[in-house]
Amino acid sequence: MRRSYIINIIKKEWEDTLSNLNTLLFVTLLPLIIIGQGLLIIYLVVRFAGKGVLMSTMFQTAMEKLETILPSIAELPAMDKLQVLLFSQLHIYLLLIPVMIAITFATFSIIEEKQSGSLEPLLATPVRTDELFMGKALAGSIPALVMTWVCAGLSLIGVACLGTAHILDAVVTPSWFISVFLLVPAVTVLSFLLGVIISSRVNDPRNAQNISLLIILPVLALIAVQVIGALMLTPLLFFIIAVLVGVVDLAVLRIGVRLFQRESIIVQWR
Amino acid sequence: MAVIETFGLSRSFGNIVAVEDLTLAVEQGEVLGFLGPNGAGKTTTIRMLAGTIAPTRGYAIVAGFRTDHEVERLHEVIGLLTEAPGFYNRLSARRNLEFFAGFYPNVDTQSQVDKYLRLMGLWERRNDKVGTFSKGMKQRLALARALLHEPQVLFLDEPTAGLDPEASREVREFIKSLSQQGRTVFLSTHNLAEAEFICHRVALFRRQILAVDTPENLRQRLFNRQVVVQMDSAEDSVVDAVKKLDFVQVVQREGARLIVELADFERNRPNLVECIVTAGGRIQEVSETEYSLEDIYLTLVREETEGSNSH
Repeated sequence: MRRSYIINIIKKEWEDTLSNLNTLLFVTLLPLIIIGQGLLIIYLVVRFAGKGVLMSTMFQTAMEKLETILPSIAELPAMDKLQVLLFSQLHIYLLLIPVMIAITFATFSIIEEKQSGSLEPLLATPVRTDELFMGKALAGSIPALVMTWVCAGLSLIGVACLGTAHILDAVVTPSWFISVFLLVPAVTVLSFLLGVIISSRVNDPRNAQNISLLIILPVLALIAVQVIGALMLTPLLFFIIAVLVGVVDLAVLRIGVRLFQRESIIVQWR
Repeated sequence: MAVIETFGLSRSFGNIVAVEDLTLAVEQGEVLGFLGPNGAGKTTTIRMLAGTIAPTRGYAIVAGFRTDHEVERLHEVIGLLTEAPGFYNRLSARRNLEFFAGFYPNVDTQSQVDKYLRLMGLWERRNDKVGTFSKGMKQRLALARALLHEPQVLFLDEPTAGLDPEASREVREFIKSLSQQGRTVFLSTHNLAEAEFICHRVALFRRQILAVDTPENLRQRLFNRQVVVQMDSAEDSVVDAVKKLDFVQVVQREGARLIVELADFERNRPNLVECIVTAGGRIQEVSETEYSLEDIYLTLVREETEGSNSH
């Protein structure tokens, strides 16, 4: 693959995206809103409903499971344990960010090219389809990863500010690192690829986004099962999930690459 | 020297045959008009020749490269103007061209972009977003994009579609000038007057080639030459005298006008005029029936349709 061609595509994709105010706001503001909302909800729950929550058997079960994973929190007061339980969900919540950004980039960039008819002249240049695919993938994935990591940093600052002392130590665990640095990239790639596949079949960016929003349901389900204590993910489980998503990435990549051939784009993409 | 050569080039989509057994050669510097009705397979043919889709049978060589095996090298030496101009509407005209120029090795992006922005009359609007351009401006910008890397061969799909008469004329003149520079142009168009004006040869096409030749040769092949004699009045005595001439094949009278088909047209035309004058006819004007490319096109398409129906 020729690096200059890939850089050319990435630069164009970013210029085009930055010149669209809606997409720009979506990529920059939405992640901040997601993480701000998460922090705010946790703060409000702890501040105003903490005692009630502590009485709930569901949360007691969840905290018992959390203690088996993090024995160091056993000595903390109950309210601090609740904070650890809630704040430690934030890194899973962060997964929403790469999913949404990568899908938005994939759907907007491909469907707009389909609508304007710019793909065909592009495919008549010496650029290869794998270079085009890689350029678009990186153009969508880099901002998704950067924004997620920025938000991960901001979430830790939020935890440090809103939580009681020592909470940060209980939140930044091996699970946090595996989630942020393995699972987030794997989910980003998967989201982009699914965005490409959906975009090849749909001509309206809104339809594509509606369909692709289904991808966030597993992420929400993961948060739900953790909070209610149905399943508490250990670092090993996080690692296994990241590897599984990586395997799914490879399988979906094969479909994506097969779809992203000159012939398919011109003949089959409608 | 043939720059475009096709050998039994065919393409099907499922059970539908879009292009069948196309064998054709286009010389360097030639402008070939590719004419046919909607759905005839013109765009499919251009796509196969430009290497963006593969044939299901046969092959093509363009500028020395197989269009199915040597796509990257091929794309360095051809330019393609697609039916829809296809630009990034939020980017400027200059940025759009810079982006496309970035894929051609050995192209001085800035000087080529500047050159074609000026040549296409878009210099003043170079920093404006393409989304604000009229259709004609987009079409000129698309031509600039197709030419940025100075290709040997150009494939133009409906280059004047949707343009106003003045813009169309400018584009036609420009295409003619490309041929004068030695570039080969493969032009798909519905505009028959345009094809007649620009093209050295035309290929009439409907899934397969119906005829390829110069418009003049096609006229001679399809239609007998006819003398049109406009008189004050076409008296019966004059018509009878003409009918008696042994080189006269067909005579039609339309009011004061005689339309006559002759054997050995050039030699016998003066003899016909002499006969009419001798028979007392007062001649106002002698001319020849003119058949347009449209007549040729419609005749061939009709014959092909009748041929298909009879099978």
